[in-house]
Amino acid sequence: MGDLFDDYDRGTFFDEVFAADGSVRPHYEGVIGRLSTFSPSELHRREHIRDRIFRTQGITFTLVDDEEGLERTFPMDLLPRVIPADEWDVVERGIVQRVTALNRFLEDLYVGEQAAIRDRVVPRWLVHTAEGFRREAFGISVPHAARCLISGVDLVRDADGTYRVLEDNLRNPSGVSYVLENRAAMTRVLPIAFAAERVRPVDHYGPMLLGALRSVAPPAAGDRPTAVILTPGVHNSAYFEHAFLARQMGIELVEGRDLVVEDHVVWMRSTSGIERVDVIYRRIDDDFLDPVVFRPDSMLGVPGLLSAARAGNVTIVNAVGNGVADDKAFYAFVPDLIRFYLGEEPVLPNVTTYLLWDDEQRAEVLDRLDQLVVKPVGASGGYGLVIGPQASDAELAEVRAAIENDPRGYIAQEVVGLSRHPTMVGDSFRGRHVDLRPFAISGEKVEVLPGGLTRVALREGSLVVNSSQGGGSKDTWVLEQSGAARVAPEGGGGG
Amino acid sequence: MLARLAENLFWAGRYVERAEDTARMVDVTYHTLLESPFGEVGRTWDQLLEVLHLRAVWDERGLGPTSDAHAVVRFLVLDQENQGSIAAATARARENVRSVRELVSTELWEAVNDLHLELRSRDLDREVAEQPSELLRLVRNASMAIYGVASETMPRDAGWRFLALGRLIERAEMTCRLIDVRYGQLDALRVPSRRDVVVEDGGFHHWVAVLKSASAFEAYRRRYRASTDPVDVIEFLLLADDLPRSVVYCLTASMQQLEALSEGRPSRAVRLLGRTASSLQYRDVAELLDEDLHDFLEDVQQRIQQVAEAVADEFFRHQPPGAMHAIASS
Repeated sequence: MGDLFDDYDRGTFFDEVFAADGSVRPHYEGVIGRLSTFSPSELHRREHIRDRIFRTQGITFTLVDDEEGLERTFPMDLLPRVIPADEWDVVERGIVQRVTALNRFLEDLYVGEQAAIRDRVVPRWLVHTAEGFRREAFGISVPHAARCLISGVDLVRDADGTYRVLEDNLRNPSGVSYVLENRAAMTRVLPIAFAAERVRPVDHYGPMLLGALRSVAPPAAGDRPTAVILTPGVHNSAYFEHAFLARQMGIELVEGRDLVVEDHVVWMRSTSGIERVDVIYRRIDDDFLDPVVFRPDSMLGVPGLLSAARAGNVTIVNAVGNGVADDKAFYAFVPDLIRFYLGEEPVLPNVTTYLLWDDEQRAEVLDRLDQLVVKPVGASGGYGLVIGPQASDAELAEVRAAIENDPRGYIAQEVVGLSRHPTMVGDSFRGRHVDLRPFAISGEKVEVLPGGLTRVALREGSLVVNSSQGGGSKDTWVLEQSGAARVAPEGGGGG
Repeated sequence: MLARLAENLFWAGRYVERAEDTARMVDVTYHTLLESPFGEVGRTWDQLLEVLHLRAVWDERGLGPTSDAHAVVRFLVLDQENQGSIAAATARARENVRSVRELVSTELWEAVNDLHLELRSRDLDREVAEQPSELLRLVRNASMAIYGVASETMPRDAGWRFLALGRLIERAEMTCRLIDVRYGQLDALRVPSRRDVVVEDGGFHHWVAVLKSASAFEAYRRRYRASTDPVDVIEFLLLADDLPRSVVYCLTASMQQLEALSEGRPSRAVRLLGRTASSLQYRDVAELLDEDLHDFLEDVQQRIQQVAEAVADEFFRHQPPGAMHAIASS
């Protein structure tokens, strides 16, 4: 190995690349071997090429509270994350299982008999107090129960390398454009890294998503349904992704004012007339979707959209009201829902979670506040997160008061070490914490895009990987072969 | 294509052209005044506001007497409240292009954005007070560069056609106004026969300034040689079918874009435009001058606006069948 890894400190966390004895894990041997032949200056040169690719293509996002609306890039580290086939098999099965159960629950909640509530698997009051619960979605069915047509399930690996679910994103998960763009950039910047590897491709995401969108069109749409993406517009932080996906699928990127509902049918205004719309992949929050039903001041939505969906003339993707199931307190009940709806044991465990309305659990949490992570149940993007071991006394006092004031508004979790991955910092590689967001598409069946978005907490010691909190990303490879297959395994090895 | 995107491209074309033509007109007025008796000053700027249909906005803004040349130029160049000002038109052009960013080339976006950023970074107030020529020249050149970049980088699809159509329609209107700026000044002298006024206008150099501001002076010299007859100038700017800034040229070129866009469907916009173009094509300028050229120019502008309305109805404002029915039966 060259200088790049000479003073690499594996630390006490699970390291994705280096085993406890300091040896390179088998599935990383190829890529580490090839990267080690580069000098730091050569890698920096490649980083410049990478930056140019991202900037000229405008692959950027803007921060919510950034007044100037500066466009930033989401830096991709040159060392990819590698997942062997056998490991991926577990992740894939776990996500398919989880998303299937969540789809079943949501369809049952909004158009079914609410069996999970009836049988007390999940408390009725919890569902009704979830911020994402939408009474207005009752009676609106989705074909194949694909209510979470696009979901992003955030995974982390704990100290012994077990993949655990950190949270579900069932409303408008973003980031898949980075998955595709990272791969495209990687093949241009470091083609040699791919030599002799069999990496599963990701560029079929567009057709895969379009197929699923068409599969949930109302029956009346016939065999050539029209699907569109509904964006809040150019000022939205994820606009790049909306436009990217529209290009990938070859469908129109529309704004609310491009659509009009007449007699419970949705039409799109084009220069040659109006065209009927059957499926809307909306990247607008429930609250802004239809001013007739939700926020009347919304300028982004389409008046009458929900009534069109209820009349069975259009399918809204993801379905309205999914937020009930990615509420962070609801999260604690998902393993039970898997058992209830599928009769299976969960493949991927949750992170140990404490529910704070329970007096006993709350007392324990308040006692150990400096050892736990506290999260507001409704927020996403890492906003409002308090990490006990890293928090000041003042912050802890503040969160304690907040919990006592609104126990339903927060959850507490054990701190997960979060695995680390060597990441280029300056002239060498350093361990940085990573997570993984695979993307699942529900249509007639649930499919997972191989890999997903690996996010890196670029600040030393930081456990927060969100792009809004100074995170970076990695190209994520799922290999055709299993982890132990390329070296002579001691005991047989995987398939 | 989506109606909204088409409309944004159409307006991007119009606003870029509006910024450019406003720069041209401010420049010609400024130039004219350098060699005019003092008393003409207020009337001249007043006349320009009139021709640009900005008189009401000026009064609304309560900016004082129009004899304050500096205030008028300020109003026309950098007043953000005035939608017709160069700075406001540029900003709106940029907004429109930004919203169709996915449909246009990176080069086009950069060219439009650059002009906007350049105007924001300059001390416009000071330039307007001292000597606006350089600034006006910059706007004119940037606008031509924007269109050049668009022309060299965009496929000839509907998006391109709407951009070009917007530019041509705006220019046709603005060239009418450009002629009217000088003609109106003569009119203001209230001499009985307008034709005599034009012919005997001692200040032929003023008409030269008009030609120059339409980038048409050299072409005029080649065609009309040493003629210093203002009637020829008006004919050239109004009726020449080969001069890119003449009204007839713009209308004919608009027609080509519109016909392609309507793809053979019966089109009210095509009909209106055709009628307007032919009402001009076979005109005799000497005859026009026997009547009131100003009224005629106003009439042409009104017809052009009707064309723009028809374009909006035909391409940008489609309604669902139920709503159409409601309108038809109401």
